[in-house]
Amino acid sequence: MASPNGLVCFTNCLLPQEDGSLVKRDLWIDESKGIIVDAQKTFFQLKQRPGKVIDLDENILSPGLMDIQINGGYGFDFSVYEGDKAYLEGMQMMAERIVETGVTSLLPTVITQEKSLYPKLLPLLKPLSTPRSATLLGWHAEGPFIEYAKRGAHAPPLLLSAPEGYETFKEVYGAENLVKADEWTLPQGQSVGVRVITAAPELPGVMDALKILTENGVVMSIGHSVATTDAATLAVKQGARLITHLFNAMPQFHHRDPSIIGLLGASPHLNSPDFIVLAEPPCEIDQVLSSKDPTSSMNGSRSPRSSLHLDKGQVADMSFERPFYGIIVDGIHCHPNSVRLAYAAHPDGCILVTDAMKILDPNLEDGVHEWRDGQNFVKEGDKLYLEGTDTLAGSVVTLDKCIRNFCRFTGCSIGEAIRCATYNPAKCLGIENRKGTLRPGADADLVILDRQGNVLSTWARGKEIWNKKQ
Amino acid sequence: MRLTIRHDPTEVGEYIGQYIAKRINDFAPTAERPFVLGLPTGSSPIPTYQTIIRLVKEGKLSFKNVVTFNMDEYVGLPQDHPESYHSFMFRELFSQIDIQPENVHILNGNAPDLVAECNDYEARIKAYGGIELFLGGIGEDGHIAFNEPGSSLQSRTRIKTLAYDTILANARFFNNDISAVPRMALTVGVQTVLESKEVVIVVTGQRKAEGLNHLWTLSALQTHPWALIVADEDATLELRVKTVKYFKSIEKVQEEVEKNKPKGLGKAESVVAAEAASAELLVLSTGGLTELVFLVQRLADGPPARTQPPNDASHEEALLRLSA
Repeated sequence: MASPNGLVCFTNCLLPQEDGSLVKRDLWIDESKGIIVDAQKTFFQLKQRPGKVIDLDENILSPGLMDIQINGGYGFDFSVYEGDKAYLEGMQMMAERIVETGVTSLLPTVITQEKSLYPKLLPLLKPLSTPRSATLLGWHAEGPFIEYAKRGAHAPPLLLSAPEGYETFKEVYGAENLVKADEWTLPQGQSVGVRVITAAPELPGVMDALKILTENGVVMSIGHSVATTDAATLAVKQGARLITHLFNAMPQFHHRDPSIIGLLGASPHLNSPDFIVLAEPPCEIDQVLSSKDPTSSMNGSRSPRSSLHLDKGQVADMSFERPFYGIIVDGIHCHPNSVRLAYAAHPDGCILVTDAMKILDPNLEDGVHEWRDGQNFVKEGDKLYLEGTDTLAGSVVTLDKCIRNFCRFTGCSIGEAIRCATYNPAKCLGIENRKGTLRPGADADLVILDRQGNVLSTWARGKEIWNKKQ
Repeated sequence: MRLTIRHDPTEVGEYIGQYIAKRINDFAPTAERPFVLGLPTGSSPIPTYQTIIRLVKEGKLSFKNVVTFNMDEYVGLPQDHPESYHSFMFRELFSQIDIQPENVHILNGNAPDLVAECNDYEARIKAYGGIELFLGGIGEDGHIAFNEPGSSLQSRTRIKTLAYDTILANARFFNNDISAVPRMALTVGVQTVLESKEVVIVVTGQRKAEGLNHLWTLSALQTHPWALIVADEDATLELRVKTVKYFKSIEKVQEEVEKNKPKGLGKAESVVAAEAASAELLVLSTGGLTELVFLVQRLADGPPARTQPPNDASHEEALLRLSA
């Protein structure tokens, strides 16, 4: 039954905050508009309170989960094109079924394709959301501008470099798909859309193209690459803000050339801003009334922090901003110790991804399953191999399981793990005002989890669309 | 006057919460005859609020026909700032009980005409027939709401400049940025509180002990609605240095506020004039002054009495001491 005034209050629940804490607080949503509202403003200014109250029995009310690297699922593959109609139907089906894993936003990932397919596929992957499904956010093109030695399961003959730089990118992906953000027209009724490209910055032409693509609003990600530390650092300076599945398809960590993994440990020593000389702090009484003293320690804004500073537990200022990094936490792609190391080095950049393949289905049994072009998968629990090889071929883990694994591997709290699957990816993509948070004005895409991180029910735009009991 | 003592803040909160619940239930409020409750902010009343929330959730208490008036609110602080008293009350109480939004009254520190807002607030209280029960805390210096020591006991809802101590104490809520702490507040007056049918004061913690200690002392001057004392340095020799510095700090804050006159003071040429228009200003005077002591008066059981002026003998004595 709907609320008499459209407002719904969720009570007796824990709300994950953007800093990873969990607070016991109510959440008010407008189910007719499908958004989260500012409870205090609604109370004092609109003088209304929700007509319907739902007691969540001390469970966690989280923003719906966001998966920014997923290749398919439930038998549908984002990289296989068999005509527009079949493709669109497959997209819709995926979006409707994925919600049982707590995911309310996902970014379809297309792996290295034959050149001619991109102009056909990418326009179909415009943002899409329907009332009873997760939101498809746009597209993530992983390849073809990736390094042969780190191709993983990508087909060798289809890998490319970019001899004409940005022009090659336009030629391959289709110029109309790379236009500036405000010219990339979104379908009717959709207002959130993202484009991500994974590329190896050391390949000819990629480094320059990186800069232009970033300016056009495309999120550039470093992956399937053997870039040196210098190349990787330069790529980030050129605008790359994401690393694709950290640890996988990149050089192993070497202490003298830490490469892509080493970006998590980017040093202030190599990237410090200009130094400011401190003046004598004035006496206390005058400090109270002089609000413009920047060096006063009683003032909220702190003084600049150069190397050899005195503030324990704080890091010296750095002009280099470390990128976000996706990480597959199925326990197979990375050892738990590696996951913990990465998180400890750079917790704010950690994004949980599944990199799930088309046979993703929480209810699927182990064994041999068909993939594409005559190749088969072998599934053993959460392990997925190309038949006849040792090569890991993506994963079949669900994002909610990644959250539970992440807590166990790093020892962190469930609120912090949820942050890595909601706020952090949203922030990386620049959509944190609408998705991945509980901010007033954000879409009411929610997931109710028990305190062990199991999905109990999923909500999209203020309506319940999946319940464990059904 | 009653003084009830309990073991710790939790027990005090439980006692007061149950007491208020009983008062409301015995009153049996209706839409036409609501229970009018005065409420404070700060850390002292939080255990009380938690008891109230629990009783509402257990179905033993309803705020459906309760009307509330808060004591105070900062001037110039956006209503949705996490440290505004609107935010405090919503977070600590209103969001968790069944009170109707239109029954909630909190002073608006961003009103275009602050003096009018204060007067309107008093009028609204009067329109409801006065406050049935006013819950309050006290500050470390014995103040109630923002009525700092020395406030007129006949004061009404008005604008107040905050003391340096208060600003310092509140800085912790503003990221330790003293410049971010509001300098002024709107507050109900001492008389506004005293006119309610019942006043319940919650005092917990060792820091409040001194305020409680000065409970029974009287200052004649404070019964006057608009008092002004001006003093020279020598005249203050018998006062505690602490007291002198305290009042000097108010002056300093006053000077700063004069420079950055907030909106809402309208036609008043100066903050001083505005404060005077709505209440009183206290400055130390010449002519010799030996002692100035403070009072927070509690009510006895039964209907409120207007604050009695002291009898002639003690009044004369006080005047003599003032002119010594």
